[in-house]
Amino acid sequence: MALLRMRKAFFSNAAVSGGPVTLDLDGGERAALNFERPLEATIVALMAAGIAKASTGTVLIGDYDPRVQSVHCKRIAGFVPHEPVALDDAAFSRYIAYRAALWNVDARWAQTHAAGLRERLEGMHEAFAYPLIGALVGMPRLLVIDRPQAAYARQILDVAGDRALLSTHANATAAQAFA
Amino acid sequence: MTPRAFAAMLQSRLYVSRRLVLYACAVAVLVALVQPAGVTAPLFCCSLLAVAIALDQTPGRHPHVDRCEQSAPLFGRELARAKAVVPCVAGLLATIAYAGVQIARGSPDAAATLLVVSPAVVACALVALSATVRRGWTRALYVLLACVTSAGAYELGVAERLVLPEFAFCAVIAFAALRQYGETLARWDPLWAPRP
Repeated sequence: MALLRMRKAFFSNAAVSGGPVTLDLDGGERAALNFERPLEATIVALMAAGIAKASTGTVLIGDYDPRVQSVHCKRIAGFVPHEPVALDDAAFSRYIAYRAALWNVDARWAQTHAAGLRERLEGMHEAFAYPLIGALVGMPRLLVIDRPQAAYARQILDVAGDRALLSTHANATAAQAFA
Repeated sequence: MTPRAFAAMLQSRLYVSRRLVLYACAVAVLVALVQPAGVTAPLFCCSLLAVAIALDQTPGRHPHVDRCEQSAPLFGRELARAKAVVPCVAGLLATIAYAGVQIARGSPDAAATLLVVSPAVVACALVALSATVRRGWTRALYVLLACVTSAGAYELGVAERLVLPEFAFCAVIAFAALRQYGETLARWDPLWAPRP
C-alpha cells in the first residue's frame, strides 16, 4: 500500500486551481514535482499533506481519505510551508513545545529531538530549518515540503531519512536537486 | 483534543495577538478613567474590543500559526473551540481592567460591570468569529450581528436590569455562534485566505 496515492487530484475554488496530479509514493521513496506557477506547487503540497481537499480525483494518505479522515492523514503527513518563519533562539524552544503539544508528543523528547535535528541542519538558515524541525517533531511517515530551497537539498534529504518525501517546486533546477 | 494542545493553541494565539490584547486593555483603562460610573460604557467598549480581537483571528493575519494549526491532527470543531477562547479571554481581560479602574476610583458599579459585561463580551466575540471565515457583505453582517448582540445584552442587563435573562440570552447566542463557527471551520478551505 502506497503511503501517498494521488489520482488525477485536482483542486479548484473561486480564486485558485492546481493539478491534476497522479502519483504513488511508498515509504522511503521521494518525488520532486515541478510546476509552472508557485501557487500550483503550494496547492499540490497542501493536497498531499491532507490540508486542502481535492475537488476532483483521489488523494489517499496511508489508507485514509483527507476528505473524510483528515486527522488520520495529518498524523501520517508532515507539512513544511515555503514561507520562512522568523524565530529567535528563545522562541525556538517555545515553538517546539507548541508543536509537541499539538501532535501530543512528549515535550522533553521533542526538545531533545529538535536539538539533535538542529545540529544536523547546521548551516541551514534558521528561518527555513525551524519549520522543517517543527514538522519532524510530529514523527511523520510522509514529509511534504512546499518549494524548499535547492541550496539546502543535502541537509533536508539527510534529516528526512527513510521517510517518504514529496517536494513541490516552481523551478526545474530546485526540483532536480531533490529528485 | 488534549488539554495540553488546547492550552498550547490558546497560548500561541494570545502570544501573536499580545500587542492587540495589551492595547485593548489600555483602551479599557482609558475609557474607564473618563467614564467610571455605570455599566453602559464598559458594555459597549469591551464588546467592541472583543469584536476587534476576534477579527484578528482572521486566517492570513498570522500565517505561520494558521499553517501549524491546519496541519495538526485536530478536528475543525476542536480548532474552533480553542480559537474561540482567545477573543473571549482577551475581552474578559479588558473587562477586568475596566472594573479594576472602577474599583480604584471608588465607583460602585465594578461588580455590576463584571456580572453584566462578561457574558456580553463572550457572546459578541463568538458571533464576530464567524466574520473571520467570511468575506464581503457576509463578513460585515456578522460584525453587525455582534453589535446587535451587544445592544440586546444592554437592553436586558442595563436598561431592564434583568441580569439572569441577559445571561441566558448571551449563553444561547454564544452556544449557537460557537457551533456555527465550528461547522464553518470544519469545512474550511485553507486556500481561501488572501495570499501575500
